[in-house]
Amino acid sequence: MKHIKTLSTRDYKESMKKGGCGECQTSCQSACKTSCTVGNQSCEKVK
Amino acid sequence: MIHQYKSNGYNIVLDVNSGAVHVVDDIVYDLIKIVEELLKNGAPDDSGYLAQAVADRKALSYTKEEIEEALEEILALKAEGILYAPDIYEKYIGDFKKRETVVKALCLHIAHDCNLACKYCFAEEGEYHGRRALMSFETGKKALDFLVANSGNRVNLEVDFFGGEPLMNWKVVKELVAYGRSLEEPNHKKFRFTLTTNGVLLNDEVMEFVNKEMSNVVLSIDGRKSTNDRMRPHRGGQGSYDEIVPKFQKLAASRDQMNYYVRGTFTRNNPDFSEDVAHLADLGFEQISVEPVVAKPEEEYALREEDLDKLFAEYD
Repeated sequence: MKHIKTLSTRDYKESMKKGGCGECQTSCQSACKTSCTVGNQSCEKVK
Repeated sequence: MIHQYKSNGYNIVLDVNSGAVHVVDDIVYDLIKIVEELLKNGAPDDSGYLAQAVADRKALSYTKEEIEEALEEILALKAEGILYAPDIYEKYIGDFKKRETVVKALCLHIAHDCNLACKYCFAEEGEYHGRRALMSFETGKKALDFLVANSGNRVNLEVDFFGGEPLMNWKVVKELVAYGRSLEEPNHKKFRFTLTTNGVLLNDEVMEFVNKEMSNVVLSIDGRKSTNDRMRPHRGGQGSYDEIVPKFQKLAASRDQMNYYVRGTFTRNNPDFSEDVAHLADLGFEQISVEPVVAKPEEEYALREEDLDKLFAEYD
């Protein structure tokens, strides 16, 4: 493609079928760790 | 549904319903909005038809050939289901709300006490509007048992040691980590522990334990000495920057610059907070997170609506 570069091909439709594995890291969502520990984690399934 | 914006010279297009993210050139960026509207009004996804419809609007200065070429690409993504994806999720909402929920993470306020008196502290200088107190091992043990009992089939469980300043109750932190480890095998669970600290009590013994047991550490520092010491003083008023920086540097290096964050808060006192981020980078930190203060509007350091343009510019 000349005009478009696709960065992320996540397909929510697909994950909707099976549901997620629920293993994403979660943490307290008050001001303290919002983006630190949630925003930059890698997928448990890909690891 | 499309969300599109320009940042740092890039045209970003997020296709909300599929989750796909695309970087596009100007012509596609301009076309995507128009085509979305045309399709919504029943236009066929045919590049010839759409090119004519776009040309009829006379809103863009591109030639018809250029428009057709760009449309081919747009329609190819549509056919792949990663652009203009339909919203198929509404019918799932009922089931989603009925799902059985689990607990997989806890934030333990291990110490309601602090050795700093940060001006913006929601814990009111670690006292949490009440008397100073430290969590007992017994209470923490019950919390970990509760987590395991309510975590369903989740394997990875997160526990944050938070406060106040958790290092003021360090012995209990260590005991709880050991207790948590003892629960892992019999229950088929894995604990990921996190420690948040202001660094005042950080020493070699703590660092060694942290590097062995904590999957993440959050190190509180606001940036430049002037910024940090204004908001993060000791009770007597003296700043904390000089004593914490070398310890944070040592800990970050000992973790190979991974699995930690230096975590700062910006306020109305440092609207040029990108300078603080740059300063933290100059100190050698590679994992940096600086975020806006949450405060009552009457506080002098609270961010105001009129500050937003300046703050947004700092992010760019």
